[in-house]
Amino acid sequence: MGSLADFWATYSTLVFTVGIHALLALSLWLTLSCGLLSLANAAFMGIGAYTAALLTLHLHWPFPAVLAAGAVAPAVVALVIGAPTLRLSGVYLAMATLAFGEMTRILILNLDITGGPEGLNGIPLATAWWHIALILAGAGYALARLRRSRLGRAFEAIREDEVAARLMGIHVEGHKLAAFTLGAILAGLAGALNAHFTFFISPREYGFENAVDILTMTILGGTSSLIGPVLGASILALLPELMRFLHAYRLAVNGLILIVVVLFLPTGLWDSRRLRQMLSDRRSRRGGKP
Amino acid sequence: MLEQQLINALTLGSVYALFALGFTLVFGVLEVINLSHGAVFMLGSYTAVTVMTRFKAPLSIGILAALLVSGLIGLAIDALILRRLRARHAPHLIPMIATIGVTTVLTSAAQGLFGVEVQRFPTEVLPTGEFVFGEVHLRTLELGIVGVAFLLMGLLFLVMRHTRQGRALRAIAESPKAAALLGINVEGLFMLTSFVAAALGGVAGVLIGLNFNAVTPMMGQPILHKGIAVVILGGMGDIRGALFGGLFLGFAEVLSKAYLSSQMGDAVAFGLLFLILLVRPVGLFGRVLERKA
Amino acid sequence: MNRVPKHLSLALVGLLAGTALAGDLKIGLAEALTGGAAQYGVPIRNGFQLAADEINAKGGINGNKIVLVIEDEQGKKEEAINVFKKLIFQDKVLMIFGPTLSNSMFAAGPVANAAKVVAFGTSNTANGITDVGPYIFRNSVMESDVLPVTVSTAVKHYKIKKVAVIYGNDDAFTKSGYDVFKKVLEDQKIPVTTTETYVKGDVDFKAQLTKIKATNPDAVICSGLAEEAASIMVQARGLGLKAPFIGGNGFNSPKLFEVSKTAGEGTFVGSPWANTNPTPANQNFVAAYRQKYGSEPNQFAAQAYDAMNIATAALKTIKMTGNLAADRQAIQEALPKVSIAGATGLFKFRQAAPKDGKPSGYDADQKPFIYVIRDGKFVLFTGK
Repeated sequence: MGSLADFWATYSTLVFTVGIHALLALSLWLTLSCGLLSLANAAFMGIGAYTAALLTLHLHWPFPAVLAAGAVAPAVVALVIGAPTLRLSGVYLAMATLAFGEMTRILILNLDITGGPEGLNGIPLATAWWHIALILAGAGYALARLRRSRLGRAFEAIREDEVAARLMGIHVEGHKLAAFTLGAILAGLAGALNAHFTFFISPREYGFENAVDILTMTILGGTSSLIGPVLGASILALLPELMRFLHAYRLAVNGLILIVVVLFLPTGLWDSRRLRQMLSDRRSRRGGKP
Repeated sequence: MLEQQLINALTLGSVYALFALGFTLVFGVLEVINLSHGAVFMLGSYTAVTVMTRFKAPLSIGILAALLVSGLIGLAIDALILRRLRARHAPHLIPMIATIGVTTVLTSAAQGLFGVEVQRFPTEVLPTGEFVFGEVHLRTLELGIVGVAFLLMGLLFLVMRHTRQGRALRAIAESPKAAALLGINVEGLFMLTSFVAAALGGVAGVLIGLNFNAVTPMMGQPILHKGIAVVILGGMGDIRGALFGGLFLGFAEVLSKAYLSSQMGDAVAFGLLFLILLVRPVGLFGRVLERKA
Repeated sequence: MNRVPKHLSLALVGLLAGTALAGDLKIGLAEALTGGAAQYGVPIRNGFQLAADEINAKGGINGNKIVLVIEDEQGKKEEAINVFKKLIFQDKVLMIFGPTLSNSMFAAGPVANAAKVVAFGTSNTANGITDVGPYIFRNSVMESDVLPVTVSTAVKHYKIKKVAVIYGNDDAFTKSGYDVFKKVLEDQKIPVTTTETYVKGDVDFKAQLTKIKATNPDAVICSGLAEEAASIMVQARGLGLKAPFIGGNGFNSPKLFEVSKTAGEGTFVGSPWANTNPTPANQNFVAAYRQKYGSEPNQFAAQAYDAMNIATAALKTIKMTGNLAADRQAIQEALPKVSIAGATGLFKFRQAAPKDGKPSGYDADQKPFIYVIRDGKFVLFTGK
């Protein structure tokens, strides 16, 4: 029993981090499901984190209120910049969201209230494992329901062929904005939760590299189902721990894994179609029903 | 002060343009956002530093070595990774993600091989000398960079317009399938483009590394971000766009630092990028493509 | 009948293993060995290793060898937390040195403090570090102790009436250096002609320097790290800006001269360490470092080296009981009393003022040396 307590004491932060990463990967999955490659989720995470942290530090709001604020603030921003930005598509949208992300980071860096480059420290510990578990499960459930709902199917239609979707009467702009904003909410929640178990946040954590990390996780896991992003997030969060013995070459291995997955497993690690194919192959090979 | 700031802007803009040339070439021909261009740039710089420090070679050899090494790395990236993705007709973002992986691998390799400390070029080989016009100071090296940027742009432009290979490349950029049907060796030209673009990146690395005399494994990252902005501003795939986009960005940055506040330099750069994307996403020289419904 | 000898031998092995390990003093070392902060973390690790090896070669501490359990925290705060937890709960170290960046200490320090394990930073200079709690120690002298002396010395020497300021805007270290400079200038009533900023990794400072030149300052105050400072000074001279520089803690590194031996002439820098400081403790350290690592040490290595010796001085006074919690507590109680003459000079601790009524950690109590750059070298300023 002692060793379990020790294990938890040593690795609890890691487990929390996996949960947060999974939430972020799901937020990106949501925007991707509507065909939007948005690199803004790291910035939304930052907005959520700073909003929540400032409310805790200065106004001492209770934690649930702080979390709610952390979800609402980025949503508001998303609604504001979404309208003009989402007219772009493909790589141009990616670049525009990237530029937005960098501008957000620079803004946070230069404001006094956010502590500038020194960030905010002394954020009290408020996140418990069940907060993360609950929100992650809730998000997973909501997204699973979303996929099968009208909204989700509209997203899919837009992703497949925007022009056809419009001709079918789907209000493309509105749906894109919805996907973008919902993604921002999830990312903001992740940020607020994260701020309250790492004691300290700074602008450096919400920049281009972090946006790329989130993208990597989601692609690694695969976007055909919700399990993919969660799997990708877990692997990328745990990998540095598992490969500690590699020392300096750890990062290189991260990059290699990305290349290998992209080359040989393009649909990501968890591809429901490929898995179903493998299962049915096995069944037919055993001589059962095809 | 204004004259000096304008010169500052010209040299900074040329630095950006030089980096963006290779970057935009890959996008124009291969339609890939090659995010490993920053790493290739960095490795070119390290190659030159190593050759010049270890083997006491002169600058010209250093540049040649950087050109070759970077070019070969670019070629390898194409042959090993990008080609396979092309054969699969992978959507645009997938090669981009692969190049992110390549960047991580190359940057770690550089850290492992060369260490994390800042490396400097041997002081004996640094071109000294500067021009002073009244209150304005300009180093020979900076003038060289401006010159090389314009020269290369002019050269590439002429090649694209007036040589067979250039025309073939433009045909590929229009439609790879049609080009193949016309008998153009599409794969071969793709590989050539990758080599040349990376080689350009390597040379940019040497010149820029020399100019600031600071070579680190992470030096490719900030300039990559700016390079993306340049290429969007100027129009992706357009060589003139790389030069003018670079100059535009350089001027915007320097003048906002000079007359607004030094905090605003980066914010202005990205703000401009954002604005251009909203107003004219294809950039200064990009062609607006018709959507065929 | 056969089982008894087996159990006995197993017990013997266990006993022997136990006694072999009981002699080692396990100390955790969490530094940034990869990533952007590795340029500080690696020399820090080198400094610790050098000191630990020297101490072990002389027989260790009360006959026990120091074993450094080294972990890479990558300069990332989440990693710092993970590494601290691993060292505290899994490796069960007696105390931890590190982490490298102030940001990481803000994140991981509370973990150590809550677990009642000493976290001893050697490179954390931000304000508020020791407010985290009484288990947080640092021997990195704060800028607020160094800069007032640097500025007043330079002002007197150059008869300065007004200054321009340039600093790194996005790094906690250089920004807090700027905050201190700003207060010092206000306290000493020196007007600022203009304040310019740059971001870490910037290599082109000509726009800012041109602005500064136009305001004609008597000196330029620069809160930056050595790499950027070197380029700033060269570019300043290249633009015809002749005013002397006044530097913060980051200037103190041989790297300042890598780009130019002449651009920094006449610069004033205050710091707890310089490679030319002639005391035997320092010269021995510099020679030993050069021999072991084949490169010049810097301030980070020197402070790490001294930190190991400070901890050793504390450990010498403690009798290890084998009870981890008691031993860890004993370290926290013994450290504040230590005073040594190290590579960075005379050192002792000073407890920080309590925060919100709670006890704080321990800062460095050291006098800065003022150096001026002459002929591409740091020379102790004696008033001429």
